[in-house]
Amino acid sequence: MSLKPTIGIETHIELNTNTKMFCRCAVVDTDEPNISLCPTCIGLPGALPVPNKKAIQFITLLALSTGCEITSKGMFHRKNYFYPDLPKNYQISQFDLPVGLNGELEIVIDENKDYIQIERVHMEEDTGKSSHSGSGRIESATSTALDFNRSGVPLVEIVTKPVISSSKQAVAYIEELRQLSIDLNISEGRLEKGNLRFDANISVAPEDSTELGTKVEIKNMNSLRSLERAIDYEIQRQTKALEEGVEIVQETRHWDENKEITSTMRSKEGSADYRYFSDPDLPNMFLSEEFIKGVETLMPLLPKAQREELMTTGLSLSQSNILSKSEEWIKKLYVKIFDQTKDSVASYNWITGELQGQMRKANIEVLPEWFNEDYLSEIIELIKSDKISFTSAKIILTEILTTDTTPSKVAEQKNLFQENDSEKISEMISQIIKENKDIVERIKSGEDKLVGFLVGQLMKQSNGSVNPGMAKELLLKELED
Amino acid sequence: MSNEFNIKNIAKLASINLSKEEQDSLSNDLSIILEHVNALSDLKLHAQQQEIFIHPLEKELELQEDEVKKSLTHDEAISNAPESKDGKFVVPPSME
Repeated sequence: MSLKPTIGIETHIELNTNTKMFCRCAVVDTDEPNISLCPTCIGLPGALPVPNKKAIQFITLLALSTGCEITSKGMFHRKNYFYPDLPKNYQISQFDLPVGLNGELEIVIDENKDYIQIERVHMEEDTGKSSHSGSGRIESATSTALDFNRSGVPLVEIVTKPVISSSKQAVAYIEELRQLSIDLNISEGRLEKGNLRFDANISVAPEDSTELGTKVEIKNMNSLRSLERAIDYEIQRQTKALEEGVEIVQETRHWDENKEITSTMRSKEGSADYRYFSDPDLPNMFLSEEFIKGVETLMPLLPKAQREELMTTGLSLSQSNILSKSEEWIKKLYVKIFDQTKDSVASYNWITGELQGQMRKANIEVLPEWFNEDYLSEIIELIKSDKISFTSAKIILTEILTTDTTPSKVAEQKNLFQENDSEKISEMISQIIKENKDIVERIKSGEDKLVGFLVGQLMKQSNGSVNPGMAKELLLKELED
Repeated sequence: MSNEFNIKNIAKLASINLSKEEQDSLSNDLSIILEHVNALSDLKLHAQQQEIFIHPLEKELELQEDEVKKSLTHDEAISNAPESKDGKFVVPPSME
């Protein structure tokens, strides 16, 4: 029996507003517990929620950027559940009238584009953080401690249709969504901080089946590595079960990072269990045409359009994709260097390869003040005009990253300009041939590999200043004569 | 009517313990409430979902600017907690 997996992803994006969703407590990034609370976000009786205008602008922006239909007449619902991390005993969320419906996001895997359909984009609030004390396993905890600083922070939930077919696609989707939220300036997009958290709904069914298999939800992952591994593990687990004739139970499972397995968390609530009803504290929400038009003016160049623009410079889809997902200064640097050199591949390779590589190696996070962006163009031009070798260019880059100087100055000081004068090179070759008569004899009798040795000798004697291509050419000519 | 809902499940979701007698009596009450609510389905309504847009408050939602306002101090916030430790509220163990 041939089986196919189907995956849907729910992503929670923490918005980078100054204040919480329904009160004006500051959104804080601190380990100091319970310092940003008010009667609303700790659910004291009588406190009334008032939505954050910026959060509504942000979610509308996200919904528009993913091509969603905007629900101009929307409302908030109460999603009821009893955990101490939400002291109201309900979460304010949206049910049947979310801000956005039926969108799509373009993703890129290698040189191929794909489209992930989005079912809905809705607004809700985050919960507090709980920690469990007691010895040993979580089940034997003796108490739960609560910090409500995060309680009420605006969260956008974006839900895909069940259209994803592999962990690779899932990862590409999250990477795209993360970049989108950064470019829209609605979230910092820092996975390690939990700015984006995702749940994956996974099912496996026979290849020719028109119905989906029983779905299992894996909750609360916040790294791409966990997402990829959890999906792969779950597909394998379900496939094995189905092949052995074991029934899959609809449930919520937890991804154990250390053991690299998923395990049962709880049986899945249906939406009826949450007893959604419209929040009587919050009147219906009308998003006027004027409001939506105002949000449209905030729309930046989206990652998809950035890729298209980068491809017009001559980069491939995958190169454009990598650049579109790089930090802002890297994107800007590429455009500048390309404008100056008109060489897309060299500009791309120097920025994403050598420059970033050397910066990482030397622990340099931001380019030093003296580093003029024109320097990279200068290096690329020096290589192209055969004035320096690639090896020398790398040495020059290292120097200008750590010392306030210019590529030409470094080349001069370190004697890195290449000797392109054929007469001078020929003179050096004659000298080398004289000093290595035995090697020359062996080359003439068929040991071609030794040509490299002679070129090496030439490079050594000239301190690497000879153009190696030219040297080899002249040397071969000399040997033939 | 009582077979339309599971009183034990409702009690579990609400985190309350019900005795057998309480379960019976509440099942009975809930059945009566459901019968009343069910009467609504006899109404002949043909509205599209988007048109069902009823709210007890006939008022448009107002949004607030994203500006921080003074809230409770840490000590005020935690002052009514029956138990606290290291600045956190402490409650009986609860986990998913």
